[in-house]
Amino acid sequence: MRLVGFSTGAVAYSDFQKALELLSSEPVNCVELSALRLHEVDPLLSSVRTLDLRRYKYVSFHAPSKFAAEEEQPLVERLTCLPSEWPIILHPDVIRDFALWRPFGSRLAIENMDRRKPVGRTLEELRPIFDELPNATMCFDIGHARQCDTSMTEAYKLLKHFQNRLRQIHISEVNTSSQHDPISYAAKLAFQEVASLIPPGIPMIIESRVGQSEIGQEILRATAALPEFGPASDLDCRSTGAATLHS
Amino acid sequence: MGLMPVVDSAIDKLATRLGANWENLRAARERALEKRRALQTDLSEFNSADSSIVVFGSLGRDEFTAGSDLDWTLLVDGIADPAHFDVALAIKDRLEKLGHKPPGREAVFGSLAFSHELIHQIGGQDDTNANTTRRILLLLESAVVGRSDAHKHVVSSVLHRYLKEDRGLWHGSGKFKVPRFLLNDIARYWRTMAVDFASKQRARANEGFAMRNIKLRLSRKLIFISGLLACFSCHLGLTAEEKKQIFPAEAVQPLVAHLQRQLELTPLEALAATLLTFKELDSSSAKLFKAYDHFVGILSDDSLLPDGKTRRQHLEDLEVGDLDKDPIFDEARMLSHEFRDAVHEIFLRSNTELSQLTIDYGVF
Repeated sequence: MRLVGFSTGAVAYSDFQKALELLSSEPVNCVELSALRLHEVDPLLSSVRTLDLRRYKYVSFHAPSKFAAEEEQPLVERLTCLPSEWPIILHPDVIRDFALWRPFGSRLAIENMDRRKPVGRTLEELRPIFDELPNATMCFDIGHARQCDTSMTEAYKLLKHFQNRLRQIHISEVNTSSQHDPISYAAKLAFQEVASLIPPGIPMIIESRVGQSEIGQEILRATAALPEFGPASDLDCRSTGAATLHS
Repeated sequence: MGLMPVVDSAIDKLATRLGANWENLRAARERALEKRRALQTDLSEFNSADSSIVVFGSLGRDEFTAGSDLDWTLLVDGIADPAHFDVALAIKDRLEKLGHKPPGREAVFGSLAFSHELIHQIGGQDDTNANTTRRILLLLESAVVGRSDAHKHVVSSVLHRYLKEDRGLWHGSGKFKVPRFLLNDIARYWRTMAVDFASKQRARANEGFAMRNIKLRLSRKLIFISGLLACFSCHLGLTAEEKKQIFPAEAVQPLVAHLQRQLELTPLEALAATLLTFKELDSSSAKLFKAYDHFVGILSDDSLLPDGKTRRQHLEDLEVGDLDKDPIFDEARMLSHEFRDAVHEIFLRSNTELSQLTIDYGVF
């Protein structure tokens, strides 16, 4: 069974509780709990033990994408409270002190960046990051990769080179303003060109900003864009209740 | 072609193998590197993720000499912004103040170029002479000063089109894997340069004939050769295993990545890298590079003739009626003959895969 889900930030801006509620009736078996803004971290951490995440086969946590240098160490300390099974998705440009993040080992999944960012977009830019974090895994954002290179050559290079580190996929259309939009026809065609390089067991997290009524349609678009994830009929987690995570 | 010295230069390796010393080529390469570094500083305020300042010509080929033009364009690959034109004007103004020789009068360079035209208009009525020129030279002799995001994206997108839409490349039953769509556009550009040479001769009433003639015989021909070699590298430069992974699977991206690496080399580096793998062609290689080194030496020689001109200036000002009795033009013409003879030995008469590919793809 393929692993498909949403980022909470994509379905409800800055409100993971509402997002989980909206997703409760949707055919998803994965979720990424998003705390992209620093102030979102504490409310999420304090709710972790009470959240009912039993329906999800895979849960990850997206760390803040911006914080001051003096906030780095306290943030890392707080993130150690997360359930140990949850991968932590991190943007490489926010890292100032690699030593702080290294103890997370393979739980730390470094995400390739969009065009706005000065680092972490290409193979050349990510190599030194992984040199600093030798055990880290990777969250491959296919929308970011396409925004940087629509020919998908950079996506190919990233997938080939970091295949053994691949932990999770982010999928969406990333527009010229670097916003996550629903997957367009052009994006679908581009994503299909490298779909065969993504192993079937890798969880796919949709980041497209959609309303509740569009969630099902976006899942179909995402699974059509990466058909290696298997036929759509495989996706029905409403009946699954397996709980893999609880601290 | 970046801002760092060429590491493991194939030209240097070939020179060592042949016991040659192509000092004019080395000096021109160092001068080009120095000039691009200076421009990087001088133009740093124009850096943007959505545009690249791209240089062409001798500066892009690492053959820069004191009298060289500075051919540049602001390559835009982002949302439309009227300010892009202001940026191009400011770059032009800055370069003029810094005393750089402006680009040629055809206005192919020295202003804006847009990714959409370069990527979408390959062939057909809308692929103008200027658009073809910009596109092919972007692939074969360009270098970036400052941020390279736009340049990299446009090059990979153009290559993606040439390869993905080349049905014969993926489904053909021939022995060789050569991208004909790309090769045909490069060949078309070479012939366009030759036809435009005649057109300029008429339009300018023979003004500048001698220099253009010598450049057509040498540096322009070299650009075509490097284009052929990039296409041939899809056969010659890949292992059997790589071909097995790429062609049956119609895997476009690894082939784009391969060509990106090839096209990062200057034409002379690409030629030297190929010739290093054909030891049996060493005597022709020596002849070819010696002639080209000598040609660059004429262009870079800053000593003055009795009339107060350098040899370059002399060739630029030479009247057509004086060609036959001019010793400097005669010297340059003889070099072009040596270059031509070596090219023919290597690419047409060597009885190697290189000559087989040239006859199969470069001629018919």
